[in-house]
Amino acid sequence: MSWSSITRAGRAADLPEPAAAGSPAAGDHIGSEAEIAAAEERRRRRRRLIVWGARVVTFVVVFGGWQLLTDAKIVDPFFWGKPSGIVSTIRDWVDHGTEFGSLWQQVWTTMKEALLGFVYGVIAGVVVGVLLGQSRLLSDVLSPYIKVVNAIPRIVVGTLFTVAFGIGTTSKVTLAAVLVFFGVFFNAYQGVREVDRNLIDNARVLGASRLEVTRHVVLPSAMTWIIASLHIAFGFAIIGAVVGEVLGAQHGLGLVIYTSMNTFRPDGVFAGMFIIAAIALVAEGLITALEKRILGWRPPAQSESAAA
Amino acid sequence: MAVLGFAVPTGRASAGAPEKAARVGVELRGATKRFVSPSGEAFTALRDFTLTVEPGQFCAIVGPTGCGKSTTLGLVSGLEPASGGTVTVGGRPVDGVMPGTGFMFQADALMPWKTVVRNVMMGPLFHGATKREARDRARDWLRRVGLAGFEDHFPHQLSGGMRKRVSLAAALINEPAVLLMDEPFGALDVQTKAIMSNELLGLWEQSRPTVLFVTHDLEEAIALADKVVVVTASPGTVKASYDIDLPRPRGAVQEIRFGERFQEQHHLIWEALREEVERAYARTATRTESGEAA
Repeated sequence: MSWSSITRAGRAADLPEPAAAGSPAAGDHIGSEAEIAAAEERRRRRRRLIVWGARVVTFVVVFGGWQLLTDAKIVDPFFWGKPSGIVSTIRDWVDHGTEFGSLWQQVWTTMKEALLGFVYGVIAGVVVGVLLGQSRLLSDVLSPYIKVVNAIPRIVVGTLFTVAFGIGTTSKVTLAAVLVFFGVFFNAYQGVREVDRNLIDNARVLGASRLEVTRHVVLPSAMTWIIASLHIAFGFAIIGAVVGEVLGAQHGLGLVIYTSMNTFRPDGVFAGMFIIAAIALVAEGLITALEKRILGWRPPAQSESAAA
Repeated sequence: MAVLGFAVPTGRASAGAPEKAARVGVELRGATKRFVSPSGEAFTALRDFTLTVEPGQFCAIVGPTGCGKSTTLGLVSGLEPASGGTVTVGGRPVDGVMPGTGFMFQADALMPWKTVVRNVMMGPLFHGATKREARDRARDWLRRVGLAGFEDHFPHQLSGGMRKRVSLAAALINEPAVLLMDEPFGALDVQTKAIMSNELLGLWEQSRPTVLFVTHDLEEAIALADKVVVVTASPGTVKASYDIDLPRPRGAVQEIRFGERFQEQHHLIWEALREEVERAYARTATRTESGEAA
């Protein structure tokens, strides 16, 4: 993700530069614009190298240090696990499966719960956010209730769902959806509230019905806000699924982690954690790709400031 | 071929012959508009505003800042209901947004996420045209405002003047009988503004819709309009109305202002306008003083 934002920032920054810096230098030597461009390209490549080098160093320091400290028994591997143990745990799961079936089944169960919860939560959040954002009366009536529900700790809601829907997928999907809903809802609501009045008036004069105004003006305008919330929302979806599994399940990474904890196997806890992190990273990449597709119309400067 | 009233889509993509839209007059009689601020205070923007614009007439409304001249356009467009008095377009009382009205706003009203051609297409699409039909007409209008080749650009990739042309095409594509313009070129630099004014006159002379043009620039008002209305400081009401007898077609807006007749009329109208500008200014000045004292 930071990859793309670096290249984009570089491109946006150097666009006006050659013209501005090139004209005073033009008297000194010929072809200075090309030279400046080449220098800029070199500078950018060097920077990219530095960033990746620093990332690798960070990784080596953290995990190498961890391994060394636990090997030397300065840190007790019984409580903190160790990288080599984590790797062998993952290899064991891949080769022989976990105690609840194959690793892929656990991953797929958690993914399915998170994805379904994400989809339901996003749809509900957008629909309710747009409705309340457009109807002052509705938002005045419902806002205290929404605030109250939002203030309830999710773990409490989770236990409720586990009791109500059992230990199957439904309780996890519902919990994930609730978590996602609030993240998306507040953004969608705010996005609708920030729609440019001029755009709405313009569409109305051009003959748009209420529904057409929502479809052509309000929704696309709020999309910037909604998409921004999706990054956090997918994280919430995974939290919902895993917490739901910890509260009671037959399959899933949350269950694997919980069991490892209860049998004093920190390597298992970390292994589960890293698998979840990898999933989250892939999802984040997909959402960023989606964002670029849907919000491709934005001028680069604006997305820079939005990112900052 | 006569295009009747505001029943728009004809699918015809020719540009040369002037369209003959049914001419429609605009009348405000004793129109009053009050707003209630969020803090609950009532505020009168327009008081007893009476104005008749003949069918096909180009009427400019000038007045000091904040006098409520933009509010008149809100009433005529149907975006804002009048608090009192009557507003009629083509003899029919305005009751909500009416078809056959075009509006050009001071700020850009282009959707930044749509390409230029898609922005211009919205008018016909909202009136039930097919996508292909709407696209053909949008392309034709973009060509008329000199933006052929920029169809697939996004608004932010265009200059301020080009964006105004897109807005103009979007406002005119439904071939409105009444065109409302709220300081449409206010944000442009002087040169671009002159060019846009000329283009507006050129397009207006092709189909001659009735125009209400709000501005604070008296020179612009005289150069463009058949009739200039001076609005008093807030609450706005008509102070005086002047017929501009400069011949049409007007020609270059930049040059017309050096003509003798232009100068005379400018002098005359400015006398009326200046008082209102001074009154409006004095009011804001005392307001800040009392605000500081309190």
